[in-house]
Amino acid sequence: MRAADLVLPYPTVRSDTPVIEAARLLAGQNLPGLIVVDDRGQPFTILPGTEVLRLAVPGYCQDDPTLARVVDEAAADVFLRELHERTVAESLPRERRELPVVEPDATVLEMAALMARTRTPLVAVVEPDGALRGAITLDALLDRVLAQ
Amino acid sequence: MTTVAWLAVAVIAAAYVLIATEWIHRVAAALGGAVLMLLIGATDAERAFFSEESGIDWNVIFLLLGMMLIVAVLQRTGAFEFVAIWATKRARGRPFRVMVILVLVTAVASALLDNVTTVLLIAPVTLLVCERLAVPAAPFLIAEALASNIGGTATLVGDPPNIIIASRSGLSYNDFLVHLAPLVVLLMVVFIGLCRWLFRRAFISDPQRAEAVMALRERDAIRDRRLLIISLVVLAAVTAAFVLHTVLDLEPSVVALVGGLVLLAASRLNAEQVAKDVEWPTLVFFAGLFIMVGSLVNTGVIDQLATAAVDATEGRLLLTSQVLLVASAVLSAIVDNIPYVATMSPIVADLVQANGGIGSAQVLWWSLALGADLGGNATAIGASANVEVLGIAARSGQRISFWQFTKYGLVVTVVTIAIAAPYIWLRYFVLAG
Repeated sequence: MRAADLVLPYPTVRSDTPVIEAARLLAGQNLPGLIVVDDRGQPFTILPGTEVLRLAVPGYCQDDPTLARVVDEAAADVFLRELHERTVAESLPRERRELPVVEPDATVLEMAALMARTRTPLVAVVEPDGALRGAITLDALLDRVLAQ
Repeated sequence: MTTVAWLAVAVIAAAYVLIATEWIHRVAAALGGAVLMLLIGATDAERAFFSEESGIDWNVIFLLLGMMLIVAVLQRTGAFEFVAIWATKRARGRPFRVMVILVLVTAVASALLDNVTTVLLIAPVTLLVCERLAVPAAPFLIAEALASNIGGTATLVGDPPNIIIASRSGLSYNDFLVHLAPLVVLLMVVFIGLCRWLFRRAFISDPQRAEAVMALRERDAIRDRRLLIISLVVLAAVTAAFVLHTVLDLEPSVVALVGGLVLLAASRLNAEQVAKDVEWPTLVFFAGLFIMVGSLVNTGVIDQLATAAVDATEGRLLLTSQVLLVASAVLSAIVDNIPYVATMSPIVADLVQANGGIGSAQVLWWSLALGADLGGNATAIGASANVEVLGIAARSGQRISFWQFTKYGLVVTVVTIAIAAPYIWLRYFVLAG
């Protein structure tokens, strides 16, 4: 079984997408993560759900976790409102990590190893020319592997 | 000068250019320079590692290490967040009052701890408070970086250049307190007035927003009361031991190291985790610098520079002190003030000896300290605290440009140096006479 047999279309966001919209997409479609594409539609980065949440959490709470405790309940409930029009690009970590991307002929083991190594619950499948074909989620991968 | 001496000058000049331009990491530049000094024979293992005059200054390294250990534990207590938010609430959410309180907290903390740690702790709280108040955080962050450099000037442990100066001059913690702290208090009063004018557009008061600050729960910042109490007791004991270190006959480095290790043991925290928060690259950077500067001592370069400086300034202590103050401020604005002071210390030591020793000519050490510490405020790269604040601001999406920082920093530096110059003249020449 190859990536081409498992791949399904997958929604994407761009780096200029507001973080709040990205979070809505994640929650609305129960996605395990998001694929951020560049102007040519090629994967730029792939973010697990927790990383998308990290984009939305105020930077000061990440620099100093103690501050998350001092915010009162009413303000904590609506922390996403403070994001305003902040975009995905503005919130991305500086260091670039390995991109969980495979070509259509990748085996199940290749994909599983890549997910485990990059700690990402999905891999993007791209054509040899870099165009995004879709993605394979951890759920889908495990379903197929366990069904055999 | 010998060929080796010229080579040593070339190596240190190249390393300083690399440090100032950040073409390569400063640790790599300092260590690379140290290795080259060993290779060209400007120093050797015996002198680099064991010589008090031209080797690694272990007093400085271990004083920094001890203070870093104390801070690594202290920052886990939430005490800093508690104090900052509690104080901010006393300002009732009025932006200028909030700024005054935050810069005062920063200045006091910078005097007790190191500047970088202080801004790393205060900046996230500032971002939270500014978000609650819906005011731009940049003016507050810039003011805090400037305040940390001014506040750090007051004590031996407040700013790394002071630690180097103390080790090279033999001046005590109390000497720094008596000679620099009164001026720093005056500078802070003037600085707060400057903040009112420099950042006047940032002070837009909104009573509704002020309520959001008053709703913050500072008590929740403290989870482990035992750890807090132990940390405060050790910090107080260490500060007391610094004050009494000449009576106790203990080097400040021993006081800091013992304090750090006692706190680490008493805290019951995972030592490996705490040790990860020690800025090891900074300690290695210092070691590399000391080997490079020591090579200049070994090859006679420092002696020649010191002789030239003594000849040029012979008998004119007032002029020397004023030139040293201003030149140190200008140079510290351009290059990191740590390598500058590491290089200048042996020269100033010779100047002090030539002008009658520590009794009558110690004013030169104060000129060096004030120039280097206050000069670090002039540009965004003048001091490590400035660089850290710019990094935190960028990560939070409120980018502060080099020039945005520098235009405020320059004004503050010019004003503070303009006050320090007559202070030196009055205190050490007019009133001393």
